[in-house]
Amino acid sequence: MIDIKNLSKSYNKGQTKAVDDLTLHVKAGEIFGFLGPNGAGKTTTIKSMVGLLTPDSGSISLAGIDASKNPVEAKENIGYVPDNPDVYDRLTGIEYLNFMADVYKVSIDDRKERMDYLLDMFNLADAVGDLIKSYSHGMKQKIVLTGALLHNPAIWILDEPMVGLDPKSSHLLKEFMRKHCDQGNTVFFSTHVLEVAERLCDRIGIINNGKLIAMGTMDELRHGDQADSLENIFLELTEI
Amino acid sequence: MKSFMSLLKTNLNVHFGISALKYRYFKEKKRLWEPVLIAFAVIVGGGSLVLLYSLLLLGVFMGGQVLGQPEIVLTFAFMATQLLILVFGIFYIMSAFYFSNDMTILIPLPLKPSEVLGVKFMTILISEYLIALPALLPAFIIYGTGTGANIFYWIKGLILVLTSPILPLVIAAIFVILLMRFVNIRKSKDVMVVIGSLLGLFLGLGVNFLAQKMPEGNEEEFIKNLIESNTGLIESIGNKFPPSIWATLGLSSPGWQGFAYFLLFIGLSLVLFAALLWLGNRFFYQGYISGQDVQRKGKSLSRKALRNANKVSGPVQALFRREWKLFFRTPIYVMNGLAGMIMVPFFMVMPLVTQSEELTEVLNYARDPEYAMITTLICLGIMTFATSINTIASTSLSREGQTFWISKMIPVSPRNQVLAKLLHCNSLSLVGLIIIAIPLYFLLDLSLYRLLIMVIIGLLANILVNNLGLMIDVFRPKLEWNDPQEAIKQNFNAFLAIVLAMLAMFALGIVTFILAMLDLPELLIYGVLTLIIILLSVLSLWGLVAVADRKYRELEI
Repeated sequence: MIDIKNLSKSYNKGQTKAVDDLTLHVKAGEIFGFLGPNGAGKTTTIKSMVGLLTPDSGSISLAGIDASKNPVEAKENIGYVPDNPDVYDRLTGIEYLNFMADVYKVSIDDRKERMDYLLDMFNLADAVGDLIKSYSHGMKQKIVLTGALLHNPAIWILDEPMVGLDPKSSHLLKEFMRKHCDQGNTVFFSTHVLEVAERLCDRIGIINNGKLIAMGTMDELRHGDQADSLENIFLELTEI
Repeated sequence: MKSFMSLLKTNLNVHFGISALKYRYFKEKKRLWEPVLIAFAVIVGGGSLVLLYSLLLLGVFMGGQVLGQPEIVLTFAFMATQLLILVFGIFYIMSAFYFSNDMTILIPLPLKPSEVLGVKFMTILISEYLIALPALLPAFIIYGTGTGANIFYWIKGLILVLTSPILPLVIAAIFVILLMRFVNIRKSKDVMVVIGSLLGLFLGLGVNFLAQKMPEGNEEEFIKNLIESNTGLIESIGNKFPPSIWATLGLSSPGWQGFAYFLLFIGLSLVLFAALLWLGNRFFYQGYISGQDVQRKGKSLSRKALRNANKVSGPVQALFRREWKLFFRTPIYVMNGLAGMIMVPFFMVMPLVTQSEELTEVLNYARDPEYAMITTLICLGIMTFATSINTIASTSLSREGQTFWISKMIPVSPRNQVLAKLLHCNSLSLVGLIIIAIPLYFLLDLSLYRLLIMVIIGLLANILVNNLGLMIDVFRPKLEWNDPQEAIKQNFNAFLAIVLAMLAMFALGIVTFILAMLDLPELLIYGVLTLIIILLSVLSLWGLVAVADRKYRELEI
């Protein structure tokens, strides 16, 4: 579903390597957790995947479509939520959702069904008539999530999606992620909450200083030591 | 004092983007050619404006000399500058004091409200020199060299030039602070922007009205009175804003009298500034905080209403609607984008109210069928000029700011995205053209056919100019801003686009002039003009799409 090959991205004319020759593959039906310390290259990788940044080299394929050659087709297959929900403050929630549904060409029946479902899940139905300007951080996060998932994309790419969500919404989102992947789709998300990653993810990748330093299932990361927690593994691997 | 200076330094840095520029040019080494292009545009565009303005001032100075009052040039410059700063100041102060995102960082800091206010005030003051210096220095130099002034004139003058923006800005700031504190319009801060803008607009119109009304029929007597009373003309101009007379007299009166006026001007500035700081300590934070209660209606949309809200439209249509809604729901955009278009008809109607004789004569010529073609072309020029020097297209991408990630994310090609933006800009241009065309139609007894010609060619010219403006903005959008105002008012693209629009209008004007001189049939002139504009529009659209295809991919956020 997601195929990243030799991805590199640097800033300051090549002086700062944010992502360094990263290669990873995420299969259909998999929840992939992407971990790393602050400034390790998580957001740069994610932004490169969704087209917000132009990679220096390497290739990214999403649902079998080359993201640099056919960006529009690739984007039709993904739903992306950034780490900071900057969204049109002066639209109402429902206007924003309809805008997203229009640009992703969601049919009237599908949008009604999914909007009902997602708004109920995030407890947003009462707020969609208001300007987004009046929303709290968490509500903005939820409206962005709803907008990103309306077209039922095969691949979800979520940058720290649980930040700002109340416990109930966070729990429901995790369940929704599982359900989505059980239907043969893919979720790629970054997080700092290691317990969530440990419990939820089928596989985990750890990035540090732009390089992928570990990748595998929890069992593979433990190297047979069943008592080892993800926290210990993470701290060991990312220690300089 | 140390914390004040440190805050001032940081605020200036953020306001002018000094660190960001350093980072871009010295560390990232990106777009190194850009400062060269900007400098060129400033020299050519700004330089020619200053030159024209200086020529006007020279005329005022020479006219003043004939009347025995050469100092009129100083009054004129001081008053124009201070009024301009007063009107713009209301916008700037409101935006920097009350709508800026950094307030949430500044309020918890251990600083007095007056310190924060002082820093914000100083920052605006420094940006106002961009208006004040080119507006005042030519007058100051013309008068000084023209009258062979002594060294004291130059010293006092420099001090006055540097202090002149303080007074109008302080007045604007006091007005805004009191308004925000005592007028309880908490629900919608936007209302305040509209009130401020309208006030500025009416102030401008009022001055224009008074200026037109001044001679009122018996001009001879008026001029006689002016000459008889030595400083009559100055006072009649300066009455609108007395400190500009003090500044003039401070510079032109001899000896102690001049010095007294000079002190009066500086003294009043300082006293009012102190009053502003005193008011700031009492009311600034209170006004800000009371405006922060964002109220959510929390009124749930019924399932039925939700369903009704769901209407499927195509991506371009959806993007067009987004542009339209975001534009009209941000008053600062509307005021800036449409002000020119709305003000022109006002200015056209204004002389009618004052009923001057020359004007009636001009109108009679314009209504004469013999001059119908010339009238049509001139009206076309006015309409196109007024509508095309707007900043809607040239800030279109910049206005997206940090939400630009959505445009990059959605599966809509860049060409369709700019197409939606163009539809939005051009529809507003069409509205502007119609707003201006209606009074012209009645004023000049134009035929419907000519009116249609004017609107069609005017729209085509606007399409061309909007293509160019949008191209500039797509090429180098300003996506990082704290307040929507920065996206439109502190955006260099708007200036570049206006210069380009003026050049395009100038070139089209020359072509039209040549066509008219060739004595071609009227319809052929319109036809050739239309063809030229369409050709240029197609070329510029092609360029815009090419730039968009590349830049939408390259721009990183």
